[in-house]
Amino acid sequence: MSVLALNRLCREVLRDRAFRERMKSDPAAAVAQLDLTAEERQALLAGDVAKLYRMGVNVFLMGYLCRFEVCGLTLPVYSERIRSAGH
Amino acid sequence: MAEIVAAYGVPHTPFFPWIVQRDGPESPTALLFKKARDSFEAARPDVVIIFDTDHLNTFFLDNLPVFAIGVTEVFKGPNDEPRAVPPYTIESLPRLAAHLRERGVRAGFDVALVQDFEVDHSVIVPLHFMTPDMRLPVIPVFINGHIPPLPSAQRCFDLGAVLKGAIEQWPEPLRVAVIGTGSFSLEVWGPRIDPGKSDGVPDPDWVQEVCRGIGASQIERLISAATEARMLQAGNVGGELLNWLAMLAFVGARKPDFLDTQLENGHAYAGWCWR
Repeated sequence: MSVLALNRLCREVLRDRAFRERMKSDPAAAVAQLDLTAEERQALLAGDVAKLYRMGVNVFLMGYLCRFEVCGLTLPVYSERIRSAGH
Repeated sequence: MAEIVAAYGVPHTPFFPWIVQRDGPESPTALLFKKARDSFEAARPDVVIIFDTDHLNTFFLDNLPVFAIGVTEVFKGPNDEPRAVPPYTIESLPRLAAHLRERGVRAGFDVALVQDFEVDHSVIVPLHFMTPDMRLPVIPVFINGHIPPLPSAQRCFDLGAVLKGAIEQWPEPLRVAVIGTGSFSLEVWGPRIDPGKSDGVPDPDWVQEVCRGIGASQIERLISAATEARMLQAGNVGGELLNWLAMLAFVGARKPDFLDTQLENGHAYAGWCWR
């Protein structure tokens, strides 16, 4: 599991403007070097925040993916998907 | 000797500065914060202690203290880009902060030392509204109210009581104000947010119960009710109540001068000024 790497990635979207831009323009290339499982990589690039949540990614940090609209996420999309994760 | 002169509980919603900029000084949020600011200014504090829960912007999952005190000449924030908030540089009082930490550790609280840090909206938003010229030194005390396991409500209240005693032993004649910041029922970016929004208030009944306890100074009962499960049932940032409980240790049996409950936002504004 590479949940810590996923969590770090989310915070880099906030902190590193250049990385943020790469995540917008070519997310697959931006995360190519990260040590993620195939499942994690797929969930991230699909913006599948419900699955990332179940994997243990922190929601405050996932919020940056939505706020900066990377991996196809917008507020309506994020909201619908995370709500489907149940509690 | 230093003396505690006032205490406040306020929210730190990151988009409030933007809402107030957009809606003006007569908007509800502006007026609620103005009430707190007027009382705060009347208290004439020399230094502010703020109990705060970081949102993984000062700390992170690789290094996450349950309790920490910032011991530094100066710190900056916000480091999470809330809208309509300028970058601030805030002075602190490292000697007093180190004293608070030492007394905490001696009393059995393993309070981490942080010397080189930035803070997020949760420290800056209350200060932005209550002391926007940032002329006062501020000592941040961090409580992990977000990432379980959380410290118990009793332990946070007891930490507040120890720090109160430590301030009262400080030989310099400082007037000290205390702020506890956060919501009682709020889900942020998690499964219980409202459709199309980034947050939601899952449990207004809990907000009412908390505010009844604060209004009636029934803090022991509130501490008993505020288990980790109960706080998190009210939302994933429900543990921010712990900041209020640490602040309430400074208040004693006093009734609040004002207590404005905002059920729809899951939080409240309260103030006590006694000197």
